[in-house]
Formats: sequence, structure tokens, C-alpha cells
Amino acid sequence: MLNTAQHYSAWALLRARLAGPGYWRPLWGGARLRNAYDVVVVGGGGHGLATAYHLARDHRIKRIAVLEKRLVGYGNVGRNTTIVRSNYLLPQNHYFYEDSLRRWETLARVLNYNIMYSPRGVLDLAVSDGEMEALARRGNAMRLAGIDAELLDRNGVMRFAPELASSAPRRFEIVGALAQPRGGTVRHDAVAWGYARAARAFGVDIIEDCEVTGVRISAGIANGVETTRGYVKADRIVFAVAGHTGAIGEMLGLKLPIETHLLQAMVTEPIKPMLGTVLVYMHPHGEAYVTQSDRGGMVMGGFLDGFPSYTREGRWHRLENVVQSALALLPQMAPLRILRQWAGTNDMTMDGSFIIDRMRYDNVFLNGGWCYGGFKSIPASGAACATLVASGTAPDLIRAHRLSRFATGHLLDERGAGPFPVRQ
Amino acid sequence: MELVCPFCGPRALEEFVFRQSLPEPGASPYAAVYERSNRIDHSLEHWQHLGGCRAWLLVRRNPSTHEIYETTLLGGGQ
Repeated sequence: MLNTAQHYSAWALLRARLAGPGYWRPLWGGARLRNAYDVVVVGGGGHGLATAYHLARDHRIKRIAVLEKRLVGYGNVGRNTTIVRSNYLLPQNHYFYEDSLRRWETLARVLNYNIMYSPRGVLDLAVSDGEMEALARRGNAMRLAGIDAELLDRNGVMRFAPELASSAPRRFEIVGALAQPRGGTVRHDAVAWGYARAARAFGVDIIEDCEVTGVRISAGIANGVETTRGYVKADRIVFAVAGHTGAIGEMLGLKLPIETHLLQAMVTEPIKPMLGTVLVYMHPHGEAYVTQSDRGGMVMGGFLDGFPSYTREGRWHRLENVVQSALALLPQMAPLRILRQWAGTNDMTMDGSFIIDRMRYDNVFLNGGWCYGGFKSIPASGAACATLVASGTAPDLIRAHRLSRFATGHLLDERGAGPFPVRQ
Repeated sequence: MELVCPFCGPRALEEFVFRQSLPEPGASPYAAVYERSNRIDHSLEHWQHLGGCRAWLLVRRNPSTHEIYETTLLGGGQ
């Protein structure tokens, strides 16, 4: 039986008020694991849920299950710094991320769930002329693709983000920035919940606390997955397991061009509004991106921890480095106290771009290797991955992101860092 | 996680820099550059004690627990 989602509207609020307590139903859940599915999606994070949602909505696939080891939204969809943007240099990347940003703009209406998209603008700051040239190159590449990008000089930056016009002396003066006004933030938990609810409304079985432990193969195709709740037969299997893609490769006897690294984030105690935009500061002496959450906390993130890890801990050294970089931007944050710190496991690929492709078998698909770009790409990734799984052909948006690009030399090395995942 | 340099003894992690994880022995040239087993319980890596004696180290460790199985000088050590 379908648990058709309750439509949210002002009328629904009124109805709920009249109906009294017990009117609102849970957003998802209640599904029981069946023996066989058309598609099994492994991983109940943003990408897995979005893929399942699009498979059900766009491709009318009936029997879909999302198997999640822990809880919906436990992984990276709830651990990122909620920034959405499409200011990438390479066409293969910026067209894809722009597709995603366009979907973010309307997603709240599409899902009938408030994901709190806030186009507050993303500023990539520069402190030298050399950096300004790199930003100009990136901005021009974006504009050629019809993406909003503005190169700002120092005065432009201070108009866009008056918070930066501090009288405190800076070690590195800001000389300009590349702005993407449509970039901004989205409430990350709401994305997981909204997609889970919408997928459930289309009849997708979302099974939590169900770990996939193996894949059963015979005659060159996958027949199903072994789970902690028993064997599940599947015509097609999609892996969307964020930082644990390497373990999936091992399950399939495959080595992937991926390493798992930690990315930390942290948030201060909530304060009154002091920052109305997203600040990104990438500089050899430290990287920080800073936003203020709707609750008022200053959210910060930076580089990877620096070596492969699955611990989700994050080391002190990096935290200190991120905070110092953030304080170099906004010295007025100095009196604030850090409230929480956390880390997520990132799939870092050998070229810094993601992979959506078949994996070894014709009916096994990989949606992974998201590096820094996992959260912001969820809507585009779900739609494109669902098209690949349903039709067997990759849509143009992800044609370059195939797994074989490493063997054929068609790398998408956005930073020009070479085959070192830790530097991407 | 705590690394022990064969020359300098236990030192703060910030002194060490991770260079790369190593491919399986006998990997093809392509696999040696691009493919990693990325196991959750075992990793073999090159590190350098950059903020100390600058020695290159071969570290065998568990990326899920921070346990270090072995730290040796790269190239056998003189």
C-alpha cells in the first residue's frame, strides 16, 4: 500500500488544527523489506534518495528499495556545510552543477517540502593579483556557459559583503572576489527528509538499519544483495554510499580510483545576523568557507584532514587551521565559542570529480566519488543517475564522468592537482 | 593518531605529512597510479617527517581505528 504523502499548505495547517493531534503522519518509514525489487539503491543519503525518487517519478519504476545501514540522513547529507553553487571551471562540471543549482531553485515546490534554499550569494575571495586572474578565468568560463558570475574589485566586495569592511588590520588584504549571486545555502537535513518523503509517496521502500554486506553474482551479472536482514533479489543495484565507495569496490573485487578522506566542519554558538553571504577563502596558508546558519551559528569548513581515514573524528590541527583562516576573514568572530565540531568521510577521486557509471557488471551502478561536491549536486545527480539506471544510457550531463576516464586519460582535474586525492 | 619516527621517536602528528597511499604490490603501471584498494581496515602509505628529521617513512596502519601497525624508514634505512 502506498503511503501517499500529506500535501503541505496553509489549508493543511488549518485542517490539522481542526483535526487535532495525530493528524500529521510520519514522513517515511513503515515499509517492510520484500524479497525482490526492480532496483535496489544502497545508501539512504541525499544521492540514494534522490536517485530512488527520480527512478519512481520520471521512469515509473515500481519496485524500488533504498537500503540504509543506519538512519536516513546519518551520513554526509547531514554533515556538510550546506553550500550550493555552480562556480566550476571545467564545462563538464559547471554544466552539471548548474543543472543542480537550477533544480535547487525550485526544489521546495517540486518536493512540497521547505528546503530553505537561500540564494545569499557565494564570494570566492582573492588576496593577490594572481588569484584574481585565476578567478577571472573561472568566471569567464562560467559566463560562456550562461552561469551568473561577477568579478568584483575591492569596493565591489565591500558592497556585496559589508561584513568584510572591518577596521582590524589584515595580514592579507582582500583585493577582489568572484561572486555567484545565485549560490547560497540549503537546509541539508530537510533535503534528506524531503526526498525520503517524496520517494515514499511514490511507493519507494526506505529500509533503515539494513546493511548491505555482499553482492551475489552469477553468469556475469549481479542477482541481488546480501544484507543484515537477509538476501534481497534485485534486477539492478545502485551504490550511493558516499565515503564508503572503496569498501563497495572490495565487495565486487574491484579497485577504484578513490580514497576516503575526512572533511571537518564546525559551528559556533548562535548569534544575531552578522553575515549575509557565503565567504570562500582558498589560499595556500589556509582555506575556510564561512556561512551563518538560519539558527545564527557561524558554520565553517576547510581542507581535508590530510590522510585516509574512516574515523569521522577530525583532528585538532585542522580545526585550528580552519578557525584561524576564518578569523583572518572575519576578525569580529573572535569572541565566539565553538559549539560543535564534526567530520564526514569523503570519497576523494584521483581527479577531484565524481563518478556516475556502471561498475564492473552491466546491472551494477556507482554514484560516488563526490569529493567536495556531494551535497550541492544531489538534485542533478539523482535525475542523471536515475536516467542511466532506467535507460542504460548516460545522459549528456554525466557522459564525461564515467569510470573509464582514468584509463583513457580523459580526466576532469578541476584543480590540476594530478592523481593525488588528498590534494583535490 | 600518533606516529613514531624511527629517528626522533613519538612526535606530534602535525610534524608529519602524508604523501600517498600505495597500490597493491605487482600492480600494472595504470593501477599503480590510479587504483587503490581503499580498505577500511588496512592502508600502506608514504609519509614524511617534514617538520622534523625529514625522513621518508613507510607506514602501515588502520584507517578506521588510527592503530599503527608498523613505521619503517623508506628504502630499508642506513
